[in-house]
Amino acid sequence: MLEVRDLSVRFGEFAALRGVSLTVEEGELVVVLGANGAGKSTLFRTINGLIKPASGEIDFCGEKIGGRPANAVVKAGIAQSAEGRHLFPELSVLKNLTLGAYLRRRDRAGIKKSLEEAYELFPILYEKRNDPAGSLSGGQQQMVAVGRALMAKPKLLILDEPSLGLAPLVSRQVLDAVVEINKTGIMVLLAEQNAKAALKIAHRGYVVENGEVILAGSKDELMDNDDVRRAYMGT
Amino acid sequence: MELFLQQLVNAIALGSVYSLAALGLTLVFGVLRIPNLAHGALYMIGAYVTYFALTSYGIPYIVAIGISAAVLALIGVIVERLVFHPLRNAPHTHHLIAAVGVLFFLQSGAQVLWGSEFREMPSPFTGIVNVFGLNIGQQRLVVIFASILVMVALYLFLKKTVPGQTIEAIEQDRTGASLVGIDANRVSMMTFAISAALAAIAASLVAPINLVFPTMGEALNLKVFAIIILGGLGSIPGAIVGGFALALAEVFSSTYISNAFSEAIGFLFLLVVLAVRPTGLFSKGA
Repeated sequence: MLEVRDLSVRFGEFAALRGVSLTVEEGELVVVLGANGAGKSTLFRTINGLIKPASGEIDFCGEKIGGRPANAVVKAGIAQSAEGRHLFPELSVLKNLTLGAYLRRRDRAGIKKSLEEAYELFPILYEKRNDPAGSLSGGQQQMVAVGRALMAKPKLLILDEPSLGLAPLVSRQVLDAVVEINKTGIMVLLAEQNAKAALKIAHRGYVVENGEVILAGSKDELMDNDDVRRAYMGT
Repeated sequence: MELFLQQLVNAIALGSVYSLAALGLTLVFGVLRIPNLAHGALYMIGAYVTYFALTSYGIPYIVAIGISAAVLALIGVIVERLVFHPLRNAPHTHHLIAAVGVLFFLQSGAQVLWGSEFREMPSPFTGIVNVFGLNIGQQRLVVIFASILVMVALYLFLKKTVPGQTIEAIEQDRTGASLVGIDANRVSMMTFAISAALAAIAASLVAPINLVFPTMGEALNLKVFAIIILGGLGSIPGAIVGGFALALAEVFSSTYISNAFSEAIGFLFLLVVLAVRPTGLFSKGA
């Protein structure tokens, strides 16, 4: 399981995260809600080692991973499809996916199997496997990003707004895939603009505002919370 | 016509060397964003290592080149660890200053250790071959074929192997590379090793035609920078095309216009390209 305790991040004078605590238990799909700039991406990037925390701890499956570089965090079993996707635009879809399995590059049979699973989850990626990733549509690129993160065979998958900028139909397709992934036993930590859709598939959730967790609760608690409804669901 | 073909072969041989040296420079720029001004000095050291392997130890020429490539790969890693790695979060100007420092250090070091005289590198390929009525020096043919061989090997390494793919991945998206677990440190060292080895091979191939001396890397430095700016910084096809383009321009301007003009032509060429296409011929519009 993932346990974040009292995590703070500063960019110079600006406190981007202030004492954030959060957990993801085995098998859970946890959603983080919040407006743009609330600190969701900063939180995820810090868990993944792209940003160094000012204070606080991050434990994952018994290992202290706070402050470790990103490549070491992947090794510990956390893969991220980050904001901005960060694909390798000139490499083919297949090469992007294969690089996702970089840390288990000697496990050829395992990689082949994971590739098949990724294609099963996103059949369009099989059709486009030889195209440069940069030539794909936004939705397809998002699928590559999720697929690439899965290729690492993570215990925890972190998805930062996987449906951002996608057409509603494609966005539903991506979220459906997230549910499928979670069902295979992979923990998922998800940030999503579409709060309603995200809460529908999640077990629990957190609401982040100005770098702080202001609310935490089960799916139903959050769905019934008036503030959440007003702020994130427009009802 | 015969003069033209003769000079064409010369230009291809020269272009092969330029391309090899420029490939190393463009790789380092692509991965580390460092304009490695010490590249010319690594090239010079590479020539000396081959020279001493040949003359002091009697090692066969081709093997000597391999030894030189290996030694320079090691020196490349040491330079990366000692000089550029500690500066990885510093502003770009610091890289530039550090690179100039390494350049001076290596050049002066060579002068102190080996003196500033010009040395002639003996090569076993001294004969002349007659190809379709053209008399071509064997060494030039060796230069061309060895360069092509090395370029093909580099291409296969980058495209078909996992370590090669990590170089491409970092060039294209540094954050993405760390998100899949690639250790940028390891790739930086590997890139410096390859870059320095390529410089050593280029220098060792051309040294029997030119000469070996401590400042031999200076002129090359200017040229390879012109080449990779011309081809697009970080671009591999750009480094190859740029290398041959510069060689063709130099050789033919000295043949048909004036010898004095040949050193300047490359930079004239560069000015024109930059005026029309400031990001270089093969840039990705970035």
